[in-house]
Amino acid sequence: MDDYFLGIDLGSSYTKFAVTDDSGGLMFNNVIPTLSRNKDMFRNQLAKINKQFSIKQICTTGYGRDTFDGDIKKTELICASAGVSALFPEHKCIIDIGGEDIKIIESDPDGKVINFYMNDKCSAGTGTFITEIADKAELEIGEMSDLAKLSSGSKIINSFCTVFAKSEILGWKFNNIPIEEIAKGIYLSIVTRIRKLPVKTHIPIILCGGVIAFHPYLQELLSEEFDVDIFIAPNPQYMVALGASILAMKNEA
Amino acid sequence: MAQLKSQIALKELLKDYFTGMKSPIAWCTSAGPAEILRALGFEVYFPENHGALLGASRTAEKYIPRAHQEGYDGEICSYLTADIGAWLMKETPLTKIYGLKSIPKPDLIVFNTNQCREVAEWFNFFGREYDCPVVGIFPPRYLEEITQAEIDNVTDQLKGLVKVGEKIIGKSLDPAKLSETVRLSFEGSQLWKEVLETASHSPAPLTFFDGCILMAPIVVLRGTQICVDFYKEALVELKELVAQNEGAIPNEKVRIYWEGMPVWGRLRSLSEFFAENQTSVVASTYCNSWVFDHFDPDNPMESMAYAYTQIFINRGENTKLEMMKDIMGKFEVDGVVFHDSKTCFNNANSRFGLPKRVEEATGIDTVSFDGDLVDLRFFSEGQTRTKIETFIEQLKYNK
Repeated sequence: MDDYFLGIDLGSSYTKFAVTDDSGGLMFNNVIPTLSRNKDMFRNQLAKINKQFSIKQICTTGYGRDTFDGDIKKTELICASAGVSALFPEHKCIIDIGGEDIKIIESDPDGKVINFYMNDKCSAGTGTFITEIADKAELEIGEMSDLAKLSSGSKIINSFCTVFAKSEILGWKFNNIPIEEIAKGIYLSIVTRIRKLPVKTHIPIILCGGVIAFHPYLQELLSEEFDVDIFIAPNPQYMVALGASILAMKNEA
Repeated sequence: MAQLKSQIALKELLKDYFTGMKSPIAWCTSAGPAEILRALGFEVYFPENHGALLGASRTAEKYIPRAHQEGYDGEICSYLTADIGAWLMKETPLTKIYGLKSIPKPDLIVFNTNQCREVAEWFNFFGREYDCPVVGIFPPRYLEEITQAEIDNVTDQLKGLVKVGEKIIGKSLDPAKLSETVRLSFEGSQLWKEVLETASHSPAPLTFFDGCILMAPIVVLRGTQICVDFYKEALVELKELVAQNEGAIPNEKVRIYWEGMPVWGRLRSLSEFFAENQTSVVASTYCNSWVFDHFDPDNPMESMAYAYTQIFINRGENTKLEMMKDIMGKFEVDGVVFHDSKTCFNNANSRFGLPKRVEEATGIDTVSFDGDLVDLRFFSEGQTRTKIETFIEQLKYNK
């Protein structure tokens, strides 16, 4: 039986699974909600993976990495760097927009972290922020990206505080601001936030994380803002889990 | 991790200090002119030490909201808000630890704004509460070079303090007593320096977290023989550990410099966390702040004025960089962790670009994390661990 490696990314919103073969090729991936009261979902997913693959090593990562006993644990920044580097083996800058934080990672061709930045407390501009604001704006997450593209507006949310940002959205609704402009406004506020972070624009910029998977229009807005081409990693939501499985493989070696 | 024998001895020493405190009592800031107060015959109590205790005992979260109700904002010094809150609720951890009914009642309150403006507001609050005289020393702030005129300014202010103190005590300051107190402060501080510098050895026999405990005597008993004797013994123990090549953590692979305040309520967990990651926090600006090289028994007033004006927190950004470079080189650190302490604006040194300048000047990487000295609402454990773990991995790779 061939050897396989499992990466589990226990993120703040979702838990992602990635299985790679011994050459680092992605063989399986799936996602379930994190912190579901029903632990069966997690157990069933693991059982399914173990039935299908002979797992040699497991690496856990993400906010909940200590809650599952794998073979090794690595932070999500180290895993994002390893995962993206498997597909982009070059000196690069990774922007990982997750459920509760934004990470900027300068990574070398081998996947080592050269430098990084992440927010500590306030999670404005992250996945949870978008979900909360979109709910107030009565926007379907799945439709936001296409809607925002239709807008030529430049309105942005001023408040960093998610609660006050929701009040601003309420004001926009009272003033009959078109829904597509609200959608774009939410994205522009995220772009403005990322603009303040130490993004390296002289090297290729790769986007990954759950937010970009559901809001691809952010790529276009960020490219305009930074005036450079910005790429989205394939399976962006799974880059960290992929990196974890690759590090599990390297641990075996 | 094995506890240092000195830490056990320290418990007794602090018990004696707190339970033996008798009037006349002066309150003083941690880098204030305690020598004058001792030489006049006051026993000296340090509210900042109490603030740290409120943080370390994790009782602060109960008291801080009470200070907010009184109008003390959530983003000003959490030593201040915790201490004032505890006072308003008529509680102190000194009751549980040492059986004291309350904090010691002051006969004189003295602060030095060499560290921040907050101490003035904090100590003046207690001046009003106790109807007690308050003397403030206001040195020139954020200095690069220090001029004679600036030292003269502070020396004059210290002379003013002497007059107020003499009136309360009812006798004149004995110059020989002052000289002797300054000599003891110098000796204690030099021994403290030697204690800290044992960590320049790899593996380091003590970490920043041990230092945060061991520093108590140089703060609260500076200028006494007790302080000198304590560090003499501590030094013997640490030198033995160095000779045996025994580190404070089992497997030191990375050496870190800690810039900024401790997170008092997370001292132990952070200490364990760094140890789990084979990382020794070997140096800090904070512990080094009580290393005074300039006390001179032959010129006590002026040397005190200089010593308390030249401290890191009172200096300009260029001097801060030079002071950090000096310590970083001495302790051969691999990286610097900046603690951006939310409520300690004056000692959060990552906000004016210093980390970048440190990196450029030394080639040594830095990382900053958000936290607080006492108010744990500003500290995110998960985010901080992720950040520092990643940083340590980055440093290991760079080695």
